[in-house]
Amino acid sequence: MLFNSLSFILFLIIVLALYYSKIFNWTNKKRMLLLSSYIFYGMWNPPLVILLWISTMIDWTAGKRLAIEENQKKRKMWLILSMLVNLGFLGFFKYGDFLLENFVIIMNAIGIDFQAKPMDIILPMGISFYTFQTMSYTIDMYKRKTERARTFLDFALYVTFFPQLVAGPIVRAKDLITQFYEEKKATTNQFIWGLFLLTIGLFQKVVMADTLLAGTSDDVFGSTKLLHGVDAWVGTIAFSGQIFFDFAGYSTCAIGIALMLGIILPDNFKYPYASLGFSDLWRRWHISLSSWLRDYLYIPLGGNRHGITRMYVALMVTMLLGGLWHGAAWTFMVWGGLHGTYLILERLQRRYLPFEITKWNGMLLAFITFSCVNITWVFFRANSFEKAWNMVKSMFYMQTGGEKILDTFTIIKVTTVIAIMFLCHWFMRNTSMKEVSLKTSPYVLGVVWAIMTFLIIIAQGSGEQFIYFQF
Amino acid sequence: MTRAKVESATKDDVVILGSSRAYFDIQVDQWKKLTGKELLQLASTGSSPLPTFHDIVNNTDFDGTIVVGVTPGLFFSTTFPKAFPWERPQAKVDHYFDGTYAQRSNFLLSVPLQQNLVLMSADEEEWADDLDLKSLLRNVHWGKRIPPPAQPPFYNFGDVSIPRNISMMPKTVTDTAFANSIIKVWHFFGKGSPAPDKDGTTSFFMKDVEKFKKKGGNLILIRPPSSGGVRMGEKMGLPRERFWDSLVNLAQVKSYHFEDYDQFKNLTCPEESHLSIENANYYTEELIKILKKDNALTIQKPN
Repeated sequence: MLFNSLSFILFLIIVLALYYSKIFNWTNKKRMLLLSSYIFYGMWNPPLVILLWISTMIDWTAGKRLAIEENQKKRKMWLILSMLVNLGFLGFFKYGDFLLENFVIIMNAIGIDFQAKPMDIILPMGISFYTFQTMSYTIDMYKRKTERARTFLDFALYVTFFPQLVAGPIVRAKDLITQFYEEKKATTNQFIWGLFLLTIGLFQKVVMADTLLAGTSDDVFGSTKLLHGVDAWVGTIAFSGQIFFDFAGYSTCAIGIALMLGIILPDNFKYPYASLGFSDLWRRWHISLSSWLRDYLYIPLGGNRHGITRMYVALMVTMLLGGLWHGAAWTFMVWGGLHGTYLILERLQRRYLPFEITKWNGMLLAFITFSCVNITWVFFRANSFEKAWNMVKSMFYMQTGGEKILDTFTIIKVTTVIAIMFLCHWFMRNTSMKEVSLKTSPYVLGVVWAIMTFLIIIAQGSGEQFIYFQF
Repeated sequence: MTRAKVESATKDDVVILGSSRAYFDIQVDQWKKLTGKELLQLASTGSSPLPTFHDIVNNTDFDGTIVVGVTPGLFFSTTFPKAFPWERPQAKVDHYFDGTYAQRSNFLLSVPLQQNLVLMSADEEEWADDLDLKSLLRNVHWGKRIPPPAQPPFYNFGDVSIPRNISMMPKTVTDTAFANSIIKVWHFFGKGSPAPDKDGTTSFFMKDVEKFKKKGGNLILIRPPSSGGVRMGEKMGLPRERFWDSLVNLAQVKSYHFEDYDQFKNLTCPEESHLSIENANYYTEELIKILKKDNALTIQKPN
């Protein structure tokens, strides 16, 4: 079910009515939330709820054993079982066709004539998110960093909690399960703020991403022509804005909906396009994934504990796998590789060419970071290396005579939206929406809310799927 | 919703397939009034009827009556899956099979809104007079960086209702300038269309015709009216003898060309391709009379 759909509006009203009615005690409210979450997921493809159940059962059992088992070998076996099942699901459903395709290429390259029919496997929505979430529980249990969930219901709800089930934030067990132990109820202010966040999230998705930016990005990346540099840049920054508003919009909706239930989810974005460098970027962009990769991949790979070379290798491997997490294609690996390279270059700069960041050079640095990030988005969005390379050549005027496909108004529209977005990120980078709202007159907030609602209504989105659902 | 009804339709049911002419010209209320039976209207604008016919023949047990409206420029256009007249109806067929429960419930929930509110965005056509934000922005053209769109502005001229039906907006009949704007679009499409693939489309269709006949189905071909410049263009580019007559000879099913009937041959289409609501009701009524007289339909109005 999509947040930007009529079904979801009805669904949410029913869930909230049941949640705040007096007919259920807390345990039954949690049961109701769990059932609602399965319905939320099953409305897309009911049989795939079984995967959620299997993942839940395996990690609940593994967690239970890890809590009581003292034998280190046996503990490791339970951890491996959990990893095998979760990564096995991910490997089969997400990377099955990709692995098969590459296997065929390798076979043919070494002279073995081998052909295989694509398996055409359905990618279960949000599988990358809930497998990572549930794995974090088992790994933390193994490392004794978290306590075992008190009841199966609490754990199942942690894996399946509908606001963040399909596209995050990827929440750690200690941050979410513990919230299920005591009855939760939003205060009036929390409920209103949650509704406001839901509106902002929908505004980001329906108006900013789908209405103002997606068309330009689709036109440019869908074009088979060699493009003029301006068109290539405008298409790229349009995608840059689209993916931010789409994904941050989903996270904002998720945080808002959870808050309406009295549950607090962590921030997933903190104005990332005003980042001062790439380490800063990854502390601001998809925070729950980057912290997951840091804690469960980068640090176990050695992190910065075994010298500089090993640290760079760990960094690069983490970013390459982070790229692959986004999709089963080599272009995503290149995207991750570019980010890995940026991070390494940044660390080299800090070591050999350190400089102080002031308010004067900060904005320039943020702009350079943003521009470099835009180049990586080309590989993320392009569906082939050929397309990506043609885009890069156009962007850097390495080819002449590129075709113009965007009209003047579209160029002005996209550059204006992106410039405003960049400035908003810059001015908001050290504060939060909540802080700003507390300093703003309720009348102004009301007017902003009304304008956003009006724009969502006149945008009349056709229920476009969130980009990150496919990851 | 209508496609789902085909699954449980009986021998007495009638399904209409075709392009926008079959959609505009056969009015479901009039049909029900005169036959006592609900018509399953599955014709679709800008579409070849071949993908939908293929779906019904191959994916259902339906053995009732299928009326296929032949708009030559679309019927004989192509079988290429990525071509517009094919991709559009095929997307609808795919949606029927692949649509999620969430999409179905969204549709059901949208019905009361559609019936009680004015929609600002019409549909897949992306009309020039849509009022949703994306359309408003799409229609702003500044400067001469790229050439202006070659296609003239295409304004919405039909009202869609549930159960599936479309009728011409009265404005198209009363406002000649508006009707002319639609005519310009037909002429633009006519001039820009690739050459028809008569052999490919006919061969594809005939395979399904044979299958449908074997199942005991009753196929009827109709050629709804066109007029003015559009008719002239069709006579030149898709002459009756080479296209319609050839198809009828091969199909060996009951077929009705508007030019063969005094009731129809002088009907004028306000925008040269579709009938006004009044004439569409008249066309539906007269067509039923002709079909009944010819024993082409198995149903009769109950007493």
